[in-house]
Amino acid sequence: MTATTASIQASGPTRRDARSKAAGSARYAADFPHGHPAYAALVRSTVARGTITAIETVRAEAVPGVQAVLTHRSFNRGLGDETFVMKGGHMQSSFMPLSSDAVHYAGQIVGLVLADTIEAAEEAAALVEVGTTREQASADMDAARAAPEDDEKAALCKGDADAAFASAPVKVDLRYDTPAQHHNPIELYATTAAWVGDQLTVNVPSQWVMGTQAGLAAIFGVPQENVHVECPYVGGGFGSKATILPHVVLIAEAARRLGRPVKLVVPRDAMWTVGSFRPATRARVALGAERDGTLTSIIFEETGQSSHIDHIAFPGSTAISRMYESKTLRTKQGTVATDVNTPGFQRAPAEASSFFGFESAIDELAVALDMDPIALRLKNEPAVDPIKGVPWSSRSLKRCYERGAELFGWDKRNAAPGMTSLPDGTLVGYGCATATYPSAMAPAAARVTLKGDGSLLVETAAHDLGTGAYTVLGQVAGEMLGVADGSIAVKLGDTTLPSGPMAGGSITTGSAGSAIHKAATQLRDRLADAATAPGAPFAGTAPSTLGFADGRVSAPGGVGHSLADLLAALKLGELAEDAEWKPHGMDDETASKGLGGGMAMAGPVSDVSSFSFGAQFAEVHVDPILRTVHVARMVGVFACGRIINERTTHSNLVGGMIWGAGFALLEQSKVDGPQAKFANADLAGYHIATNADIGEVTVETIPETDTAVNAIGAKAVGEIGIVGMPAAIANAVYNATGIRVRKTPILIEDLLER
Amino acid sequence: MQPFTYHRATSMADALREAALPGAAILAGGTTMVDLMRGDLWAPSRLVDIGRLAELERVETGGDTLRFGALARMADVAEDAFLQANYPALTESLQLAASQQLRIAATVGGNLLQRTRCPYFRDGSSPCNKRSPGSGCSALRGDTRDMALFGASERCIATYPGDWGAALAAFDTSIEVASPSGTRTIPFAELHRAYGDDPAVETTLRPGEIITAILVAATPIGRRSTYLKVRDRRSYAYATVSAAVALEMDGDTITRARVALGGVASKPWRAAAAGTALEGQRLTRDRAFTAGEAAFADAVPRGDNGFKIELGRNAVAKAVLVAAGRAS
Repeated sequence: MTATTASIQASGPTRRDARSKAAGSARYAADFPHGHPAYAALVRSTVARGTITAIETVRAEAVPGVQAVLTHRSFNRGLGDETFVMKGGHMQSSFMPLSSDAVHYAGQIVGLVLADTIEAAEEAAALVEVGTTREQASADMDAARAAPEDDEKAALCKGDADAAFASAPVKVDLRYDTPAQHHNPIELYATTAAWVGDQLTVNVPSQWVMGTQAGLAAIFGVPQENVHVECPYVGGGFGSKATILPHVVLIAEAARRLGRPVKLVVPRDAMWTVGSFRPATRARVALGAERDGTLTSIIFEETGQSSHIDHIAFPGSTAISRMYESKTLRTKQGTVATDVNTPGFQRAPAEASSFFGFESAIDELAVALDMDPIALRLKNEPAVDPIKGVPWSSRSLKRCYERGAELFGWDKRNAAPGMTSLPDGTLVGYGCATATYPSAMAPAAARVTLKGDGSLLVETAAHDLGTGAYTVLGQVAGEMLGVADGSIAVKLGDTTLPSGPMAGGSITTGSAGSAIHKAATQLRDRLADAATAPGAPFAGTAPSTLGFADGRVSAPGGVGHSLADLLAALKLGELAEDAEWKPHGMDDETASKGLGGGMAMAGPVSDVSSFSFGAQFAEVHVDPILRTVHVARMVGVFACGRIINERTTHSNLVGGMIWGAGFALLEQSKVDGPQAKFANADLAGYHIATNADIGEVTVETIPETDTAVNAIGAKAVGEIGIVGMPAAIANAVYNATGIRVRKTPILIEDLLER
Repeated sequence: MQPFTYHRATSMADALREAALPGAAILAGGTTMVDLMRGDLWAPSRLVDIGRLAELERVETGGDTLRFGALARMADVAEDAFLQANYPALTESLQLAASQQLRIAATVGGNLLQRTRCPYFRDGSSPCNKRSPGSGCSALRGDTRDMALFGASERCIATYPGDWGAALAAFDTSIEVASPSGTRTIPFAELHRAYGDDPAVETTLRPGEIITAILVAATPIGRRSTYLKVRDRRSYAYATVSAAVALEMDGDTITRARVALGGVASKPWRAAAAGTALEGQRLTRDRAFTAGEAAFADAVPRGDNGFKIELGRNAVAKAVLVAAGRAS
């Protein structure tokens, strides 16, 4: 058995929520009690495409304790296209199950059983018989019944890339495939909905409580403030909980009809089809270069899997086009509709898939050039944003590579493949790849309260998915007011709090953190003004010279007063400040929409271009006989602006890298052709990495001072960890074996010598 | 899950009486049974819990026969020092199966009766002759990567997933079963059926019979044995291919050899031809690969599982080399 040794020397306050999670007292969505709820169970279609011709519910209704069996006949409620998140709404899909007799994908909800107990609901759900016609369907993008669609708006063009490619002295032209993948957070999807009059309370694991509130209010025709969404803890989201999933609407509607709270916990196998997933991709990468490694042509053509019921795309071009200087570039983005539930956000939705191919191709070009792949990358580092020509808010990729190469021992790599082995014959390979993630931002609001005892309360409707937001966001206020971490309380994940942004696109720290920074600054200024007013303890001192540290306020050279004493002396009780913050350059109307629970993002490119960057390294060991691959070591060095908490940042990046290893070697949602469905819908068949799969993981960050990206200088952390790892591992597998695998996961059969 | 009655057996006689009733099924460790019931893949109307029958937990390794009580826990057998030294293939097969949590709960008797991981059986809805006789086999035209290369039929190509069973197949193993009419012993090779016309019937156990013990002839061949499991991830995964190998050697000549395969057949699969290819031969790397080729000579690949012929050959070869390297 191999131990996982992630170095955890990183410093920073420990997690504010650690104790409650370890003790089991942290309350997740399904843990909230509601008086006498009815329990729901799903009936799902086994047919991928067709029309429901019969639903037999008599046997189900006869199960003792069953209250109702809802089908399209009794439910019959559709939602408009505009409710879809990609069209300005909040729903994961514009298609509402139970709205008609149409079946669009395998696993679609076609019935909802409500009963007094979960046992009765599940028993009855198994007794519902659904008759459906079977029409031709495909869940496989390579055998789709629809032709690919070009997304012309996502295309980028700079010079004549095809001509430059044709005349390039050294070139590669390759195709790379990635499969569908599913998030599978350990906390299952769940919803409890309870109505009191026209007031709705919903406990749902959510990465976007404000959006969920706004969306449900619109759907149910009640004022937004009548909807209370509450989920202080989320047991992993990875994008799956960013939008309103259709069953949330079903449960809220069922609760309204039943006049009783209704609770649903979605079973694991249904997680594949009642939410979204990472769509499969097919990419062509063509690169042309001078013999000295100067890139002259970048061509990137990518097709992503979409669904027939919605159109959704995650174009890799935005990030791809920022990586290298090249006098020409052409990107093309397209989608193929398949008969599946609509794909959606999954950690680094565009980048993780597209960088597998793109950064593999860079490695292949390095081989063709007989050049070190790091030297090739650094030779083509762009001084400014290669598409917009604006400066970087910060870009320390070169330093990431220098430090990463040193930590990893890149100089010990033998560039010739298949030439390095351990004494027992195990093949050893080294690989690297670049990671990036855009630093976008959304408007946010926050309230910071200084309590009479000198402690702080920080409130915003942002979210902690296990990433450390509780800890980091509290620190932002604590630093401003000199309050120790142990005296800070943070409230998140509740629509009664000041508006917070979606926990998506790695924006929480930069956005909610900036709002908290603003509120804390106001609070500090207000307190300083009061403390220096005539008759106050610091009368005569200039407010701006007061120091806030260690729970005390002091004038230059003086001992000062504790915050509690100062508040008492000023007879202030407690002080609270609210602030709204919007990204640089965002107009007020957009900001207002965002604060009201709408989608409103700015960046990563305006008058500066803001991306986080990283250099990722892998050492793989390949069994010479069995051809199994083990990731012995991973090193990642990242530059993400200011790092507020090394400890939580470190964990987040380590987690992303481990997922990247799973992406490279394990994860795929297999598609059954004839039935047009995901065939391995359980955690025995869908492999995620275990401890034994992961060797040593080392992460460092490069300190950056980025004054342009936002008020606190924090760039994106949440998603970058996964981005370069699949290619780094594939490149290492090539170095170990001489076999280039251009698809994930890389499996034993891909490496057997024929 | 459908309603059922639950009876906790107070004695073997009580268990046998209850097991003979219509719709009865035996619950031991529950690690596979509960999964099957929760997935509506098996809906017995009567559960007979034999988990408290202490007399079925004993493991006896002192005599001419190793006797594993059916309720011995996988974890306990895996950690038995005598067995680790003298029958490493058996303990390794258990150690490489499931997770420690499951190994602590699961029994060695129940383990033998675990059912296939074929996704079309497990999904509860695909046409599947094993779950719903006569409905067809979805795997034939579906994802065949993990389907059987041995002992399959046009009605079912699912694999038997167990590691312990594959290791036992390399030894002279038999199964002791009890019924109200007495006790009988079944050669292990006859416990599971290869798939013929009715893949829903997976064993030769008769209704109401309860496995009481696993019997393995004590033999010096166990010392030079190993269980090699190849899987797509390093822990908590079923075998892509596995090989159990046991050897007796005289100097560098192999005098007796037993080879069995897991993850590639409808039942624990004894590869007799591989043993024959080794016996009387000097151990060389080439000879080990020859044995691997012999093990898969009769394999019937389908679709995406053809690579397992080569992988399986390599796995057998590596296992032969590992076993031969062990002290006798």
